[in-house]
Amino acid sequence: MQQTEEVLFATEDQVDEYTGQPTEIQAEKYLIFSSDGLMYGIKAEQVKDIITDYSITYLPQVPSYVKGVINLRGQIIPIIDIRLRLGKMPQDNFCGIVVDVDGNMVGILVDMVEQMVDVPLDSILPVPTNSTSQAMVSGMCTLPDGNTMLELDCELLLHD
Amino acid sequence: MGSGNDSILDMYLYETNTLLEQLDGILLAAEEADTFSEDSVNEIFRIMHTIKGSSAMMEFNSLMTVAHRIEDLFFLVREKSMDVVPEQTRPELFDMLFQAVDFFRGEIEKVENEEPLSQSIDHIVNKINSLIDKIQGNSSAPAANNPAEPESAAAAGEAPAPATADAVNQDYPYGIHVFFDEGSGMENLRAFMLLNGIKDYCGDFVSSPENVETDPSTSDHIADHGFLVWFRTAEERDSVIPAVQNGGSVREYQPVDAARPAPAVHEEAPKASAPVAREEAPPKASAPAAKAAPAPAPAAGQQHAKESLISVNLSKLDQLLAVVSEIVITESMVTASPDLKGLRLDNFTKSARDLRKLTDDLQDVSMSLRMVPVSGTFQKMNRIVRDMSKKLGKRAKLTLIGEDTEVDKTIVDAIGDPIMHIVRNSMDHGLEENEADRIAAGKDPVGEVILSARHTGSEVIIEIKDDGQGVDTQAVLNKAIRQGLAAPDHDYSQKEILNFLMMPGFSTNTEVTEYSGRGVGMDVVKKNVADVGGTVTISSEWGKGMTTTLKIPLTMAIMDGMEVSVGNSMFTIPINSIQSSLKVAAKDVIHDPAQGEMVKIRDNFYPIIRAKELFQMEQGCDNIEEGILMWVESGEHSYCLFVDELLGEQQIVVKPLPNYINGFGVKNYGINGCSILGDGSISIILDVVNVYTAAHSSVY
Repeated sequence: MQQTEEVLFATEDQVDEYTGQPTEIQAEKYLIFSSDGLMYGIKAEQVKDIITDYSITYLPQVPSYVKGVINLRGQIIPIIDIRLRLGKMPQDNFCGIVVDVDGNMVGILVDMVEQMVDVPLDSILPVPTNSTSQAMVSGMCTLPDGNTMLELDCELLLHD
Repeated sequence: MGSGNDSILDMYLYETNTLLEQLDGILLAAEEADTFSEDSVNEIFRIMHTIKGSSAMMEFNSLMTVAHRIEDLFFLVREKSMDVVPEQTRPELFDMLFQAVDFFRGEIEKVENEEPLSQSIDHIVNKINSLIDKIQGNSSAPAANNPAEPESAAAAGEAPAPATADAVNQDYPYGIHVFFDEGSGMENLRAFMLLNGIKDYCGDFVSSPENVETDPSTSDHIADHGFLVWFRTAEERDSVIPAVQNGGSVREYQPVDAARPAPAVHEEAPKASAPVAREEAPPKASAPAAKAAPAPAPAAGQQHAKESLISVNLSKLDQLLAVVSEIVITESMVTASPDLKGLRLDNFTKSARDLRKLTDDLQDVSMSLRMVPVSGTFQKMNRIVRDMSKKLGKRAKLTLIGEDTEVDKTIVDAIGDPIMHIVRNSMDHGLEENEADRIAAGKDPVGEVILSARHTGSEVIIEIKDDGQGVDTQAVLNKAIRQGLAAPDHDYSQKEILNFLMMPGFSTNTEVTEYSGRGVGMDVVKKNVADVGGTVTISSEWGKGMTTTLKIPLTMAIMDGMEVSVGNSMFTIPINSIQSSLKVAAKDVIHDPAQGEMVKIRDNFYPIIRAKELFQMEQGCDNIEEGILMWVESGEHSYCLFVDELLGEQQIVVKPLPNYINGFGVKNYGINGCSILGDGSISIILDVVNVYTAAHSSVY
């Protein structure tokens, strides 16, 4: 028994050495997507689904960034175009991430879903206060591949 | 408490509640007719028997005892028909039964809340007993009046005796019929003790039932039908009477004589039965028949109730509906798969068609499972109107309209209390105190409360209307000012004043009555209704009455709608607000100076609202001749909605829009919800009234 545990610990240490990550730092999985050349991250636990090729039903009398609603397995889910929401030019592609924000399911239209990464929580840095255009971003961090991830604040996305 | 026990308890509560509701209905109908039909007597008997049985099983003694006594009472009624109850005691009987129902409800509520059951059931048991006595007194009267007439006396008093006597040894013809105190419990052991006492005087006897000492199941029989001890000679019997008199818990006793062969009965009858009949004819009369009768009837009834209904957890139905919706969508994804394009698949197409039909059926059934008619909730109000009308001395009738309107179970649950509050208010404050006032106002002296339910569009509308005195707006305003809810120097419209009624802590009645006036009426109603997304409006005309309207969105409700298209969007118009659809030529459209368009239909002009322009859509017909006009009407608004195409009628499930979307106020534009069509696409449900208001408040 004792021996087995030692072996187990040894292996884990080796893994840590290999990846260069100390064990005691808490990490969280993030889903990275790109929109208008920027990389954004959403906590993976908030992501419910990744959708492609759904037909959006147009809804009148809502802001233009609300593209409409979709039927996701019997649930009616509003779709927000993140480009329009952030005041950018819209683009015609349809890849969406369905996120759960405080019980509200919302689909976010993005350019492309990139990957899942483990991000150590202490590596997420606050956003400089002067950048007003990135209002929906609650933190940023540098990814292992050198890109910078902007942490999307989903709550701000819904309510401003 | 283990989970197994819990589920038994659940079953018990469900069953008992259902039975009580059924009982309430029977009682109300019976009171109306002032008698019980044979069917309802049997039904009440069966209900009481079931409640008694299941309560005994759950060891809810108070429930069991009361149910037991009512069962006894109805046993008498069943035996002798309703005529046994004298005219003047009938109101008492009905009151007692209603009280008993309330008692049961109260106890059941305690069980639900895990509170201890009430111990003091004497008052209600006493009431039942006194009624039983009255009924018995009545039924024995004819026999007692004609003691000289042997045949009638024999018929009323003695005739049943042979049946009893048949069971015992012919050598022991002289009996004593002993009844123990009501609810004394363990009757078999009391009987055994009594026998021990008798042994001191005379050792030669047989008892019926036998084996009282060892067989506890005889206890119920003794409690119901008494305990019989038989002796060889009349002298022996008389000698033990002191022992019976001194026996514990003995309520009453009477000597009985077993039947001789037929001629002997005739001889004996005048002298033996006359005193007996005068004293205690009915219990004896009921005793023998009771042995046979109750058993088959309740059994048949119970079986019926169990087979036709089961209770299902609501969350399971939700789950079912979600799965079924997915099946429907997946089915259309499979059958309309792009991979199949251009292939000739005769067999596949045929099977796909069958599958489509089956999934449609499945969807219909699973949707209808959650829907329940409002009649249950409405029927309960009968009881409230009845009770209050008695208590307040106001004659009133309740008229129900549209009871079979089906709404989602959650809504039915949510509107019960609000409707009750409003009905109480109508009875208490609405209807005039004196009938003279009503007559003076030219109204029927009997007040009327109308409860109606109907679907309109995506809402269920429940109206509670009374023809009473209406709301004294000045009094309401004065009170609102006194309570600091209204500013004294402000002019309020009638509508605003009526809204004060729904403010927390507002109650116009200066006195607090049993039913209303605690100031927690209408604001609670408003809150409860708002919880299910509904609204409450009050309208009233002084002297003519008051109408309270609850509008509740039919979340999850099924609705008949007409599918129309504008561009590539689909909209659903509630079918009951559609008058007709029509094509018009451009020259039929009349323009007004403000660019408004109108069309003349049957001598009336109606405005045209173009859906495309109202909803600022990119696609859709502009040419009035290419599209179609839907002539719609709801409330006081009537107009024509111009759309591209009529797609057809469809039954749809109303789904609320996500809260996020509702946050943009789309409801004000008549967008009330949406529904998922068979192919998975979404159709937007329009609210005809709000479309009109939106079109006329915005300049498009």
